[in-house]
Amino acid sequence: MTTLVLLVGCENSLSTVDPAGPAANVIATLWWIMLAGATLIFVFVMVLLALTFRRPGVADADNPVGEDGAARGREKVWLVGLGLCFPLVVLAALLAYGLVIGERLLPRDDPAVVTVHAEGRQWEWRFSYADAPDLVTENVLHIPAATPVDVRITTVDVIHSFWVPRLAGKLDALPGHENVLRIEAWKPGRYAGVSAEYNGPGFLGHRFVVIAHDAEGWSAFLTDGAP
Amino acid sequence: MIDVIRIFGPLFVWFATFSAIYGLQGLVCSEHWPALGLTLSHGRVALVGAWLVAIGIQLGLVAVLQMRRVAPATGLAGDVSIWLGWSAVVAIIWSSFPVAVTSTCG
Amino acid sequence: MSPLRRHRQLTRIWQSDPGWKGWFTTVNHNDLGRMFMGTAIVFFLIGGILAMLIRAQLATPRSAFMGPEVYAQVFTMHGTIMMFLFAIPLIEGAAIYFLPKMLGARDLAFPRLTAFGYWCYVFGGSMLLFAMFAGIAPDSGWFLYPPLSSTLGSPGINSDFWLIGITFVEISAISAAVEITVTILRYRAPGMSLDKMPIFAWYLLVVALMILTGFPPLILGSVLLELERAFGWPFFQVAQGGDSLLWQHLFWLFGHPEVYIIFLPAAGVISTVLPVMARTTLLGYAWVIAAAVALGVLSFGIWVHHMFATGIPHMALAFFSAASTLVAVPTGIQIFAWLGTLWKGRPQLKLPMLWIIGFFATFVIGGLTGVMVAVVPFDWQAHDTHFVVAHMHYVLVGGFVFPFLAGLYYWMPLLTGRKRFFRLGETAFWLVFVGFHVTFLAMHWVGLLGQRRRTFTYEGGHGWEVINLISSIGGFITAIGFGLVIIDIAVNTVFAARIRRDPWRAGTLEWAMANPSPAYNFASLPRVSARDPLYDDPALPHRIARGEGYLGDAYKGQRETLVVDIATGEPLQVVVFPPNTPLPIILAFVTGGIFLGLLTKLYWMVPLSLIGVAALMALWAWGLGSRGDDVMRDVGHGLNLPRAATVPQPPGWWGSAFLLLADATFFASLIFGYAFLWTVAPNWPPPAYLEPGIIGPLVGLAGVVVAPFGIRLAERHLRRGGTMWPGVALALAGAAAMATAAIMAVRAAADPELHAYDAIIWVIAGYVLVHVALAAGMSIYATVRRYAGYVAPDRFGEVRIARLWTDYASVVALIGLAALQLPGAVT
Ligand code: HEM
Ligand SMILES: [Cu+2]
Repeated sequence: MTTLVLLVGCENSLSTVDPAGPAANVIATLWWIMLAGATLIFVFVMVLLALTFRRPGVADADNPVGEDGAARGREKVWLVGLGLCFPLVVLAALLAYGLVIGERLLPRDDPAVVTVHAEGRQWEWRFSYADAPDLVTENVLHIPAATPVDVRITTVDVIHSFWVPRLAGKLDALPGHENVLRIEAWKPGRYAGVSAEYNGPGFLGHRFVVIAHDAEGWSAFLTDGAP
Repeated sequence: MIDVIRIFGPLFVWFATFSAIYGLQGLVCSEHWPALGLTLSHGRVALVGAWLVAIGIQLGLVAVLQMRRVAPATGLAGDVSIWLGWSAVVAIIWSSFPVAVTSTCG
Repeated sequence: MSPLRRHRQLTRIWQSDPGWKGWFTTVNHNDLGRMFMGTAIVFFLIGGILAMLIRAQLATPRSAFMGPEVYAQVFTMHGTIMMFLFAIPLIEGAAIYFLPKMLGARDLAFPRLTAFGYWCYVFGGSMLLFAMFAGIAPDSGWFLYPPLSSTLGSPGINSDFWLIGITFVEISAISAAVEITVTILRYRAPGMSLDKMPIFAWYLLVVALMILTGFPPLILGSVLLELERAFGWPFFQVAQGGDSLLWQHLFWLFGHPEVYIIFLPAAGVISTVLPVMARTTLLGYAWVIAAAVALGVLSFGIWVHHMFATGIPHMALAFFSAASTLVAVPTGIQIFAWLGTLWKGRPQLKLPMLWIIGFFATFVIGGLTGVMVAVVPFDWQAHDTHFVVAHMHYVLVGGFVFPFLAGLYYWMPLLTGRKRFFRLGETAFWLVFVGFHVTFLAMHWVGLLGQRRRTFTYEGGHGWEVINLISSIGGFITAIGFGLVIIDIAVNTVFAARIRRDPWRAGTLEWAMANPSPAYNFASLPRVSARDPLYDDPALPHRIARGEGYLGDAYKGQRETLVVDIATGEPLQVVVFPPNTPLPIILAFVTGGIFLGLLTKLYWMVPLSLIGVAALMALWAWGLGSRGDDVMRDVGHGLNLPRAATVPQPPGWWGSAFLLLADATFFASLIFGYAFLWTVAPNWPPPAYLEPGIIGPLVGLAGVVVAPFGIRLAERHLRRGGTMWPGVALALAGAAAMATAAIMAVRAAADPELHAYDAIIWVIAGYVLVHVALAAGMSIYATVRRYAGYVAPDRFGEVRIARLWTDYASVVALIGLAALQLPGAVT
């Protein structure tokens, strides 16, 4: 019984920090690293702030503490060192990291790739399959597990966004454009998906499910049209 | 007014060159590019070329800021505008270096 | 004259009309600044109530409190009110109220424009409130993406209220920005060179220039979307050559600078208040100026980071990711400049300082999460979730509301003249600060667990329930805190004791006057020789009150102040301001007719109102100027200065120049939109491009050359004492030629509903026509003024203004018409 509950919970999960595929996984790692870095920086700044109160305020210092000879040195430490160089170094590293990941997540040519189409409308998704041209499924997308899948995303009306948080980031469905998102599930299973861009009153219910099959299940699906 | 223009000028030019490179990238990935008989590798060359030109422009601007003819009326505007001139050089290098490393239209 | 008599005389000159009438006729920045800020706070309360409705709805899963339609109106109006009707107007109000005082002037450059802007804000804001109470409020999110917001997704009137109401309100932002710019550059105390300007003025200069260049893309987008909705011109409809991405570009070209437009004034408040709280001066004044300028300009180059998930090529995303990380650098410089300032001083934990500490603890988190979402892959996950909602509230509340509350408490003596007696403020701070973090800190996490923004409820089982409940409780604590702030201020305003001058012992000029600030600000205008004039010369306030500065003689009952050189601050002219008048509110009302006509589709109201606007504007301008009597004025200390209305570049010329900066940005955005569609939109090329022909371009080109030449000829003859007519006739002929070329283009593209290209032709040609008509109108006006004696061989400023507008019209005609012909010419 408990396993069942857990399973259901897992199936519904929209968690980006519970990755079930390579794309979501690298992004989750990126997040944890950024969280650690951000926490360090935040604590550092707060400590500096707290330390400024180390000297008791002289409530009746009539004239303000004016410029003195130390001003230039201070500018060097605070402005050049902490203000300019520190962020530049941190940001350069982070930017490079982000770009490398971004490049890796692009839908590059790969002979193993399976192609599917996702067509958004208010408020459902229609999926079709390059390997089985007659097959159309509604609100359920079938993919093979452990295989890179290119989702070609389009819309027939307003803007939608295709998002399966445990597999990959989101990508919009824009009128007149076709966008390609690379997803992959490590293991067979069911993964919840939603439309992420607000698209009218039915937005909340604009959901779908991705079913990743093992090799057998996938070929069965392609031939019979049913899992 | 010269003081104000000196201060706002360099980064304003950055915005113009940066947007121009972005526009060029859009053109390279549009259908007009192959229609002109050009390929993606031409596109890469054009983008990197544009980037270098943009860096040149920003460096030139720093040189212009030193010229007597555009001397500021206040020392503050002089300092600040030179710093911002260099910032614009850094900004164009930083914000457009992807022309050299990322995939063009993927 | 004794100080008391001077005070009485100046007050009589500068105060508003007695009784209720005064509210509607005042043009004094003391009144209008307060009215702006007060109205903005009313909108904050309304937006806050909407936030509470949101939090009540989301407190528990499957809440039946609101359905999706109502919820959509609530979150859209919450965002819209907070951004457009609270934050920006509060900034304008603060600038309007404080800048002249800090700069050492008696009012802003264009007092009637201040009032006009205020009434546009009130009328436009009322339109949106009406829509909300009538249940027909905009409902496609505060950034109104088409096609959802266009006829396809929103056939009702809801989106029209947004497009038309917000554009109406935007007039107030543009007019405030024009006069803030001109005021900072030219209306300062003698001797206040740029390097002695208070840091707050530097920030506001950056902000005003940003408004002038940041708002026009949104105004353009609104115009285009309204044209699409009302007349079917398909700018954003992909089947007919439009592209919904164009809206996103135009919106975020405005939208990103907007958040820095909101943050920078707050940073200006901190840079002003924090050093006083630490009994020291700001560390690295020049660095902070450079950082503010860099932040302002860089923020224009990062708009696409709101579009990372739209499928744009990775290289383009990389540009904007890189630029977005870069903006963090000037932000860092400011943070460390403030920390360094605290470090070198002796910080005291007074109430404004408490809010500043709240700012540090909150804004730094918002900045760090901002850097996170600037990293493309992470944004692919975080975008459109509650993570982003949390991020933006950390930035907006931490980076704007907290600093402005610090400022409010800091400047309260000036605004109300009272001491703080009841100490509710500290309790209120802790409630707001703790409540805010309780509301929003865990909201990051629920976003990462997949809760989408703008969903009106949620199912259990995702691990979201507890977080949402905590968040809602935090929201109500915050609300109680804000309520307490308002009670605190109200109670102290009414009951507390009067306060002495300069209670914080600050150094800037606004503290040189009595509390509350008198209507005329300065009994005489001081000469300053330091960045903190009151530290430099503690006796300055007394000398000002004794009339030892300039213009201390209440001359002829005129409202006077000085105009100075931009860089050196040396006094150059004396300006005479207009007295109280109902003209601004009448003009705003008639302008409202244009917007109301568009909204209700009673299109006959539009031309009628336009005629009214033109007539009122002529009346408005007529009262300015000089007929040549009393040109020179002895301002004191042996200085004899000309009246500003008589110089070649009068204040109106400067106002026009900066208004044209906004106008040029509008035009540049239009050309960008055209180029964008040509490059990216799927259904291009259109059925047919314009056939250039020979006659159209030739006629147009002739006009482009002749018009500027004509107006120069008129000026030359005038200055030699001759007649202006030949030159003006030439200018008008040139205008007619440009208009002909524009009309020919429109006639060639007979149907603007056919394709986005044809629609663009109509808009560009229409833009050219409007500007040609404006230029022609001004030339005629200047000629009439010659007969009335306002324009003369030695007073030709108004001809210069006409010349500026004529030159502008010629340039846009040249570029616009050439751009229309270009595709047809090359293919
Ligand atoms: C403490 C008071 C506030 C609370 C509790 C609050 C709460 C919220 C919540 C929960 C949302 C998300 C609604 C949704 O996506 O379903 C939201 C959206 C938003 N808020 Fe606030 N908010 C507050 C103050 C502010 C302030 C001061 C500003 C701006 C200055 C602001 C600007 C916005 C904007 C722009 C949105 C986006 C609206 C949209 O999605 O179209 N909020 N707020
Ligand atoms: Cu942004």
